[in-house]
Amino acid sequence: MKLKNQDKNSQDVKLNGSKYWRSLDDLSEAPAFKDWLHREFPQGASEIEGVNRRHFMKIMAASFGLAGLGLSGCRRPEQIIRPYAKQPEMTIPGVASYFSTSMPAGSENQPLIVETHENRPTKIEGNPSYIPYGGGTSGYAQASVLDLYDPDRAKHSTRAGKKISKAVAHDILHDLHTKLSQSSGKGVAFLSEMSSSPTRHRLIQKLRSEYPDVIWSEYEPIISKNPEIAANQLFGKSLKPSYKFEKAHRVVSFDCDFLQSESGSLSSARGFSKARKVISAKDSHKMNRLYSVEAKLSATGGMADHRLRLSSSHILPFLRLFAAELFNESNVYPNVVNKLKNIGGKLDVDHQWIHECVTDLISNKQQSLVVVGSHYPVEAHILAFAINEVLESVGHTVDYLEIPSHEVTSIKNLTDSLNSGDVETLVVLGGNPVYNAPGDLDWKSAQSKASHVIRWGYEYDDTSKLSGDFIAATHYLESWSDGRTLDGTYLPVQPMIQPLFEGLSAVEVMSGILGMSDTDSYSEVRKTFDLLVKSNNPDLAFNKFLAEGLVEDSKFKTLYPSIEINQLTRLVSAFSSITPRVSSENVEVLLPASLQIGDGRYANNGWLMECPEPMTKLTWDNAILISPRLAKELEDKFQVNIFGPEIKMNNLDDALLDGAGKFGLEQYEAVFDRGKEMAPLAILSVNGRSIKGPLHVQPGLANYTLVAPLGFGRKTVGRIGEDAGFDAYPLVNSENPLFTNNVNIEVLSDRYKLANTQEHWSMEGRAIIRESSVEAYKEDPNFVDKMGMESHSPPIYGADKDKSLQEKSVETHRGMSAYEFPNFDGAHQWGMAVDLNTCSGCNACVIACQSENNIPIVGKFEVARGREMHWMRLDRYYSSDEGSSTVNGVPEDVQVSFQGISCAQCETAPCEQVCPVNATVHDDEGLNTMAYNRCVGTRYCANNCPYKVRRFNFYDWNKRAIDNYNQGPFGENLEGELPAMQRNPDVTVRMRGVMEKCTYCVQRLQEAKIHHKNRHGSTGNVKVPDGTIKVACQQVCSADAISFGDISDPESEVSKMKLSDRDYSLLGYLQLRPRTTYLAKIRNPNPKMPNSYSQPFARQEYEDRYGHGDHHGHEDSHGHDAHGPSDHGHEKSNHH
Amino acid sequence: MANVFPKWANFVPIKIIIGIVLVLIAITSIVTYYFTPKYTRVGYQPTQPVAFSHKLHAGQLGMDCRFCHNHVDESAHANVPSTSTCMSCHSIIKTQSAALAPIRASYENDKPVEWVKIHKVPDYVYFNHSIHVNRGISCVECHGRIDQMEVVHHDQSLSMSWCLECHNNPEEKIRPLDKVYDLKWKAESKEAQLEMGMELVHDWNVNPPISCSGCHR
Repeated sequence: MKLKNQDKNSQDVKLNGSKYWRSLDDLSEAPAFKDWLHREFPQGASEIEGVNRRHFMKIMAASFGLAGLGLSGCRRPEQIIRPYAKQPEMTIPGVASYFSTSMPAGSENQPLIVETHENRPTKIEGNPSYIPYGGGTSGYAQASVLDLYDPDRAKHSTRAGKKISKAVAHDILHDLHTKLSQSSGKGVAFLSEMSSSPTRHRLIQKLRSEYPDVIWSEYEPIISKNPEIAANQLFGKSLKPSYKFEKAHRVVSFDCDFLQSESGSLSSARGFSKARKVISAKDSHKMNRLYSVEAKLSATGGMADHRLRLSSSHILPFLRLFAAELFNESNVYPNVVNKLKNIGGKLDVDHQWIHECVTDLISNKQQSLVVVGSHYPVEAHILAFAINEVLESVGHTVDYLEIPSHEVTSIKNLTDSLNSGDVETLVVLGGNPVYNAPGDLDWKSAQSKASHVIRWGYEYDDTSKLSGDFIAATHYLESWSDGRTLDGTYLPVQPMIQPLFEGLSAVEVMSGILGMSDTDSYSEVRKTFDLLVKSNNPDLAFNKFLAEGLVEDSKFKTLYPSIEINQLTRLVSAFSSITPRVSSENVEVLLPASLQIGDGRYANNGWLMECPEPMTKLTWDNAILISPRLAKELEDKFQVNIFGPEIKMNNLDDALLDGAGKFGLEQYEAVFDRGKEMAPLAILSVNGRSIKGPLHVQPGLANYTLVAPLGFGRKTVGRIGEDAGFDAYPLVNSENPLFTNNVNIEVLSDRYKLANTQEHWSMEGRAIIRESSVEAYKEDPNFVDKMGMESHSPPIYGADKDKSLQEKSVETHRGMSAYEFPNFDGAHQWGMAVDLNTCSGCNACVIACQSENNIPIVGKFEVARGREMHWMRLDRYYSSDEGSSTVNGVPEDVQVSFQGISCAQCETAPCEQVCPVNATVHDDEGLNTMAYNRCVGTRYCANNCPYKVRRFNFYDWNKRAIDNYNQGPFGENLEGELPAMQRNPDVTVRMRGVMEKCTYCVQRLQEAKIHHKNRHGSTGNVKVPDGTIKVACQQVCSADAISFGDISDPESEVSKMKLSDRDYSLLGYLQLRPRTTYLAKIRNPNPKMPNSYSQPFARQEYEDRYGHGDHHGHEDSHGHDAHGPSDHGHEKSNHH
Repeated sequence: MANVFPKWANFVPIKIIIGIVLVLIAITSIVTYYFTPKYTRVGYQPTQPVAFSHKLHAGQLGMDCRFCHNHVDESAHANVPSTSTCMSCHSIIKTQSAALAPIRASYENDKPVEWVKIHKVPDYVYFNHSIHVNRGISCVECHGRIDQMEVVHHDQSLSMSWCLECHNNPEEKIRPLDKVYDLKWKAESKEAQLEMGMELVHDWNVNPPISCSGCHR
């Protein structure tokens, strides 16, 4: 446990800390992290601040006295039942109905099924009829239902800030129509967000043909059309590529985060996981291999088998070298090769990396795929298309879709027209340009040049504030519309509920502008449908469309164009050879959309805001991510601690008690202070535009690349988004929105508090994540059994260890307990298997769980105290190679592993034995249930849970407004009925003082069982067929990483998964027999690559520390620890 | 030294102890008797906005429970009928009755009739009507002889221990599915009920939940 990083000047200090770590403090075994590890709740989480015990007792005594006075009647208050006066058709009170719809998000719609209770939408699910997504959804779609009930949404239209009625809003549109008619559109400009809606598109066409002089402009800050432009240049047609990752055996990604942030990530992640899934060692050769070249550490980079850190500015030059090598090896395009070599040769990269990667691709022709981040210049996409052509991928792993061409004015040209005074009336439809237009355009002043600005939007935001007329929009769950998926499949948007407030839908606004006052949005949508879908019985076809939620075979036409060599040569010859220099004097800043709240449109969504960012684990804030090397250089330059002050104590005991007997942890101002990251602030400036934000050291970044996520720091926003993070849009450049070069950085001595959850709920023990490489897995298929303490401890199931899973699940005795346990004789025995191999850490499961189970948000202040309530958390571990370069002890190259953790429903649950009131007990189907009404809040159960999955309601999260929690009844309550309308009526809303946790969506299990028994009333058939029940986290997962079902049925999906040789119990040696088990992660390195590895870093670290796992069956060696110098995670294990 | 305390003071502690014990017993008895649903709920008979007589409709006219509570076999809630259900007959029969004025008003104004809730379990109890009626538990077991009630009252305690009595011994209450809505029906004898009950419990694989998750979520 000795910390050797006392010599701050040494760049390569060797640490004894874990090579498998969650945060920098974990890596350095900082005492504060140890403290996290040993507590069930972080220090401070379970304490009242500012009130001492005596004062507390006084208050309590007084409040008991008052309670006595208030005890009036003994009868419960009278309650009223209000049945429908006229019962609507198809509505059964108490039974959920499901309707198909789709969620508009930028240039695509996501097909959905929405659960409604008494016509009140409560939960979003994916539409499984759309095969590419397989019923999966993004976290944004999951959270969108919360936006519907957002108390801060725009409830009415305004004129000059004053409320106006819906009729006046219609008048505004009518006046606009009159103006258009008088001038054939001259002087009127539109700036719209992108939309895939065919109805809206049809109305736009009508507008532009009737009034040819209008300026129609579209802008999205994040979506790039570069691939389409490249395809157009190369093939001469309006095309876009469509990738089939399920058929790709080798994938190379050039900064393309296709698993998470690129559009279409749901189908990419699903396809990719199909090609990555292995059940047993026998079929491990079928597993795909992913190479990733990127600047920031993305989910895709975390999944990659070989990852190369490279500045974004160097990715295009690198791609040129890569393409040249590939064309050369394949003996094609000799002229192109020469040109590429001439312009791309000056890059300092390992040419063997390129050579071996190219060789691997060529030996897997027709099964290889090269993808480039959509923001990269057109040139990069042209090269990628050419590479895929040479690899014969077209028609196998990549198709081209013929898309309708749609000419629009760019926001830059619109700004010019505004500045030259050509625009009198500006209409802003959606979006939020005042906030998110590129910083170099100075949109704010351009917009003020228009004499009349009309804005239609969902929120009263920065743009609305600067617009004379603001027209409130309806939510998509309240409106009629339609849309298309990325591949063109035609989807409906149908309302689930009447508009809650006085909003207008997009179609209503468009038809209002066109002067079509006699129409409504339903008729317009229907009209589009009749134009697009030819049918003998249009009414029936339309109903089918609504019922199924899509039109089959409506996707864009697939083409397999081939490249004209002359065209390619011509395009390549125009490439210029600029390779910008990147150094600490000349940093580049990447400006991606934040993974929490996208480009800022979800900034007032509490679920998204509180969901930890997958890599940094930051909540409620964004941060400027910085590489360890640059951080070190800046530390020296500005004399500001970025890594946190030097840790002087080298012993935990010394740390716990300082000389004065004071609790010594207080004196550490590590990077983390009780989970509150104290980040130094920095100013980034370029061309006179600057931003200020906190720095967060992120391993795995390219050396001189900073990442400043967009979407935070909005000025005019509701209560959730207020004061959250900093705004990075000022740095966005309209020429190249992806990154900005030549950025000057200044580090300040001020610090900013970040609520970072990466150390929260840390578990201790060995081999929490188990990994192997494909080759090692083939040789040793049972490696998981040889890892962790189980390899030393007595067999988990004792004499029953050789029985089948089914027999074990119902028969194995659970030992003695203070309480009477039910036998496991229920009709089902629930169990779950999580495949770590396919999880890419997208967080959708966390939000789905929150939505399904009425899980509250707690706000930044409470998150920083470790009180976040997510039942499902996604642990992210970094691991590094012994030999990899480190700066200040922080490795520069890391491998990433994700592990989703929720209650594992241990058969011998330690929480149950310590509950004094029997509030958590097992049921006969193996669930570790919670009886909330029994819980008295001792928190013993959380104390005794080794997985740290129990969450405590420290305050009335569900009742009080954020930051009013500690004022109890005197605090402000949540406003109105809106938040309550989202709640799932089948799940108890927990109050203050109650413990809660995952119970495998018990409400879904009970509902399915009851439904099944209702249908088979007088037969003995009580077993719900496998696959009927999907728990919320499983249903949302587009990668199918989670299987759930009845483990007493050998034919169930989950039983089959658990039969895999990779199946292991987390902390299995504790003999808890968890019902949730994990399937070890397999990586697929190419042995010929220069940065190849025989075992994943996490495994290497394990073996270095504990030796090879050949002690299986040494029952007498329980607890001994002769393999490693460190005792991290051992000293307390006997406490459980 | 003179005795400060008189002799009777020797018995004061024991008297106090006995007194405390008696008070505790009294409090315990009072709470167990008066604070339970059996006392607080059973017999609860609020006045409803419309004097609807179950005795007339379900008893004399012999209407099936499901004519009005039409979703009882498919939903957790046994729905209180919508006004339109009442009007399906009362737009023809007794169209001018003064007693029915609130019903007609509700139908015309599209405003619900505000019925007072009688049978109530706590919010954390997820009781499901459909599974009970579909598995041979009659309405009468919880609601009593509704068909004989002029004004409906709370008949059974609906406490957790009361629920568990039946969940532990379903054979005592289970009946053939065609008799579920027949409130008069009774097995010929207790022995006949038990014999038939055992058979049904076995054949239908009835295994009522006695774990927390059965009712609490």
